[in-house]
Amino acid sequence: MSAPFLVAKGIVKRFGALTALSGIDLEIRSGEVLALLGDNGAGKSTFVKILAGAHAPSDGDILVEGSPVMFSSPKDAASAGIATIFQELALSENLSISENVFLGRELKRSIFGIPFLRRQEMRKRVDGLLTELDTHISDPEAPVGSLSGGQRQAVAICRALNLNAKLVIMDEPTAALAVAETRKVLSLTRRLAERGCAVVLISHNIADVVEVADRMAVFRRGRKVAERLRAGTNPEEIVSLITGAHPDVRALEKTN
Amino acid sequence: MRHGVFSMNGREWSLLAACAVAIFVLSVASPYFATSGNAATILRNSVELLLVGLGMTLLLAMGGIDVSVGIVMGLAAIGVGRALGADLPVPITALAGPIIGAALGLLTATVVVLGRVPAIVGTLGLLGVYRTAIFVLLGGQWLSGLPTGLTVLLGTTVLGIPIAAYVIALAYLAMWTALRRTPFGLHLLAIGNSEEKARLSGIPVVKVRFITFIVSGALTGLAATFYVANYRNVEMTIGSTLALDAIAAVVLGGTSILGGRCSLIGTVLGVLLLRILQNGLLLVGVPSLWQPVVTGGLLIGVLALEVATSRLSLSQLGWTRK
Repeated sequence: MSAPFLVAKGIVKRFGALTALSGIDLEIRSGEVLALLGDNGAGKSTFVKILAGAHAPSDGDILVEGSPVMFSSPKDAASAGIATIFQELALSENLSISENVFLGRELKRSIFGIPFLRRQEMRKRVDGLLTELDTHISDPEAPVGSLSGGQRQAVAICRALNLNAKLVIMDEPTAALAVAETRKVLSLTRRLAERGCAVVLISHNIADVVEVADRMAVFRRGRKVAERLRAGTNPEEIVSLITGAHPDVRALEKTN
Repeated sequence: MRHGVFSMNGREWSLLAACAVAIFVLSVASPYFATSGNAATILRNSVELLLVGLGMTLLLAMGGIDVSVGIVMGLAAIGVGRALGADLPVPITALAGPIIGAALGLLTATVVVLGRVPAIVGTLGLLGVYRTAIFVLLGGQWLSGLPTGLTVLLGTTVLGIPIAAYVIALAYLAMWTALRRTPFGLHLLAIGNSEEKARLSGIPVVKVRFITFIVSGALTGLAATFYVANYRNVEMTIGSTLALDAIAAVVLGGTSILGGRCSLIGTVLGVLLLRILQNGLLLVGVPSLWQPVVTGGLLIGVLALEVATSRLSLSQLGWTRK
């Protein structure tokens, strides 16, 4: 396996007297789906927000492709190749798919100083991405408001890919979806990894995670209590790790 | 989504049909309605509202609004009138309108965008301030008997078509191009859909909102230039129904009062329908006092109808699987 895309070392986050994260070490590799699991308040969202540049860590280092980085805004993280797809997707329902994918970074040509949109080219690029991801969306000019929840996830993923993201963070992408839609989004997630992206997936649904993730990291009370490869674990073990019933977790929590 | 310069959807065709029906009924009701002289009067009376309506369309599409357009036109008209009275070169007096309008648009944007005041409240507050400014500037008197220079300039025709028509066509094309062919238009519509999402998408929200208020102000000021050229006076009550007329015309035209969706051709048709009705009702003997009642009634009726129907289509929208 190649060098990891991102390495987090000893990440600590304090909010006043509250320690939300204590000493998180984690490696995120290209071409791999890494799932972050844990109960509400376990710290996985805080950790992801640090990766996305929304929070600054109180202590610890982040290395992207071997060199240390300091993100002071989501824009910094984006220019380092990290795209976050939030649960409430930041899509404009009144605009078309291709307009959404390029929104804020439109292709344009200047005629007499007026920046005209290159709609043809944007549509072609989006059409290519939609086909490549096998989304079964035929018309890039369809308004996003007419799409289902799963299709909107696909559009958000296209947007991330179009920004040349090397790490895509997905926060509960299947939380609001029907069964068939969930399957679709999970296969999209796999395809992202096959494309060479690093994918971080936050989910409450253990069945989903076990199906799609190569590796799982379990968070509990602001610490990473376990890391498992898919081949070496099963849903029951994961549940006991999350709830703290697992002997490893008990031992860990006793010593500290 | 595809948009041609003059392409029309169902809403716009029905508006055109409404214009046709109104013209037919009013022609039967009054022998004075269907004359070429009266048609010219209607078009002439539509000039200011068309210009203001184009700006209002962009504002509503962005989720904004400006209820002070009438008073802004009044202030710009005073500027144009004073410039005329001071015998400044005519082209300069013509430009005074849009320049004053743009400056007031900048002030509106500062209050609404930087002050983070909701547009409807911010422009209502400015309306109060500007109204007093008009009183102070005019000293309770009309500006009247202004020189004819501007009237002559804007009254000329090129190839038999008045200058006003060219100016409106140019303004329409400029707004259409900005809205449908440049990133600015996408950004404006994204802000109208959700300002927060637009910001997350990396859109320069503050800049886009400033530009839109300034452009709308400049169009309102341009309307003032035509107003002064036409009437050669500025009265205390100038523009008192302009905001109502403009918002009614734009909403009739199919632009969403909540933002995110707009139609420029719809605004043009909305303005024509309003002016046809206002003119025709006068001719059949309805006192002009009743005009705002008709306009206000139309505005409320259309909005109520939209809410009633969109509740249906909204629930369908959420569950559409393609």
